[in-house]
Amino acid sequence: MARPFHSHISPFMEHSGLEHIESLLSEQGYITESSIVMSVYLAKELKKPLLIEGPAGVGKTEIAKVMAKALDTDLIRLQCYEGLDAPQALYEWNYQHQLLYLKMGEQDQLSLEEKEETIFSDRFLLKRPLLQAITHHKAPVLLIDEVDRADEEFESFLLELLSDWQISIPEIGTIKATHIPQVIVTSNRVRELSEALRRRCLYLYISYPEFDKELKIIQQKVPGIDDRLGVQICKFMQELRQLKLAKVPGVAETLDWAQALAALHIDHLDKEIVESTLGIVLKDWQDIRQAQLSLSELFEKVGAISKLDQL
Amino acid sequence: MAHRELIQRQTSLTANLLGLFRFLRKQGYRIGPAEEADVLRAIELLEAVKDPELFRAAVKTVVCRSISQKRKFDDLYDQYWKELEKAVDSKVADAPDKNGSQQAQNQPSFQALKSWLQGNTQEEKEETATYSAQEAIGQKDFASFSEEELEEILQLIQLIARSLAFQFSRRQKKTHRHSRLDLRRTLRNNLRRGGEIVDLAFRKPPRNKRRILLLCDVSKSMDLYSQFLIQFIYAFQNAYRSIETFVFSTSLHRVSPQLKNESFRAALRELSEQVPDWSGGTQIGQSLHTFCKEYAGRYLNRNTIVLILSDGWDTGDVDKLQDSMKMIHAKAAKVIWLNPLAGNPAFQPTVQGMAAAMPYIDIFASAHNVASLRKIASHLRKR
Repeated sequence: MARPFHSHISPFMEHSGLEHIESLLSEQGYITESSIVMSVYLAKELKKPLLIEGPAGVGKTEIAKVMAKALDTDLIRLQCYEGLDAPQALYEWNYQHQLLYLKMGEQDQLSLEEKEETIFSDRFLLKRPLLQAITHHKAPVLLIDEVDRADEEFESFLLELLSDWQISIPEIGTIKATHIPQVIVTSNRVRELSEALRRRCLYLYISYPEFDKELKIIQQKVPGIDDRLGVQICKFMQELRQLKLAKVPGVAETLDWAQALAALHIDHLDKEIVESTLGIVLKDWQDIRQAQLSLSELFEKVGAISKLDQL
Repeated sequence: MAHRELIQRQTSLTANLLGLFRFLRKQGYRIGPAEEADVLRAIELLEAVKDPELFRAAVKTVVCRSISQKRKFDDLYDQYWKELEKAVDSKVADAPDKNGSQQAQNQPSFQALKSWLQGNTQEEKEETATYSAQEAIGQKDFASFSEEELEEILQLIQLIARSLAFQFSRRQKKTHRHSRLDLRRTLRNNLRRGGEIVDLAFRKPPRNKRRILLLCDVSKSMDLYSQFLIQFIYAFQNAYRSIETFVFSTSLHRVSPQLKNESFRAALRELSEQVPDWSGGTQIGQSLHTFCKEYAGRYLNRNTIVLILSDGWDTGDVDKLQDSMKMIHAKAAKVIWLNPLAGNPAFQPTVQGMAAAMPYIDIFASAHNVASLRKIASHLRKR
């Protein structure tokens, strides 16, 4: 069933709050759609973390950046990776610094307590993203990027933080959040996230953009691009994503390609150009081989569609 | 229509919403009081009472927690309101004399939402009472028996696997200590500097998560077993660094990405449409050869446990099978071959293909029932 529920024409943008978010997003150059606007708005108003899932390269991380700009606050980013553990995300003591300090102060007549108090003070504390986020002077946007890459142990630790908003450091005591950050969590669905984390968040899924949206993105980010080329690139990408590829190209690849072709002053696609620039779009040799094999077919589809359009 | 009686007539919007939540909960959505409050709050914020599309979008945004829930939502939502409307119509026709009192209640009043938000739970109680009918009919409405049984087994497997996986990941869990200074090593490292402490050594828990690689035979005789195995293994995904799945019959295909979004059945159906001659006999040798040539470099290493599920009936090249097995065995941490036929006590691995592969198999087991799947889990646990 087709619903009048896509992008800008949607009537429900009349709501002032949604309209505000949408204009903030588009001011920052983010081409959006109604479901994204709605999720961002509700995450902000309900003060809930926003979990964004979707394939790589569709602009998940971008939402956090844009949101930080839009709310006029800082973005604090925690990039997750395999083996990430609590200290790397929270805080570490600067041991080297502490040692040097003690060394320098060897001649001083300070008592043991005084020394201890100094070396376990703020100046020797290395704040990692999570601690930074909760001690920030203004509620920041906290981006926890690719949380599915971290282990589930880390995920449960994260849950604890997201509900209590405090961190206890044995040498100092408990640090409570000065402001509760707006949290955005992204995942590429490498690993299934826990039910508990899902329940705490609002959920947004972003998939590859449809033709119209992708064209708009190209036109905005590559202003000088030839109209016909833009349309062809988008159609080609739409078709390309239908192939069974190991790494499906995202919007980032589309933009790279568009930029490269625009810089070469090319105004339309042909087989030769595509073949020689395919490496910008596909990053896996099997994918490239597969695309090359079905190049004529792809072109037929792209071409056929454009002929229809001219009628 | 099955749901006709289920959705009892509700008179205020709040009650209807609560009915919707119940209906969705039945469909596997997890909606607790917190979510209910969030929906109501969202509707209030958005002033969505008068705008059906906005209303729908608000509920959808708050309630869905995964992509599959999001995909199913619109249809369920439509279904609910349609059935509700029908229920209202029939009730009105049955009892026209009650119209007067209904009129007053019928208005979807925002006040009602507000009063619910403020803790008025009276409507909810009414609702609970009417709900039992849904339960009874929901039971009656199941499709054919064999399919049902299949579904039941799948669920059972998932359940068992989850409980096993839980023990599993507890064993692997490393303590959440801050990376600590290793005093002994620090002192030792710095001895040659005359005891001046310059270099610091740290202690960290070691990390060695295993990867799992599944190679599943999906020819006609095997695809059911494969389905069970995959279902089983995926419950362990959090205990492993990654799980990669390949399926083969006449040719080999990597299906891990598809399995993220759809069920194994759907992924297979899609494959069989795309690949010509899909069920034309099994070519294990050729398939494993393809794997070695094109994927082994990327997906196989010393941390990988390889699980192969096949009956070993090969219509292709036995030499190729042997060479490929040799290579896989050399590169992987462990090779486990699961042959559902091995469940038969009289079984001897005499099939030509099977015999060729035998020397390169660390563990040979069956995977024909739930008990044997449990056993596999214990093999996976041992390092």
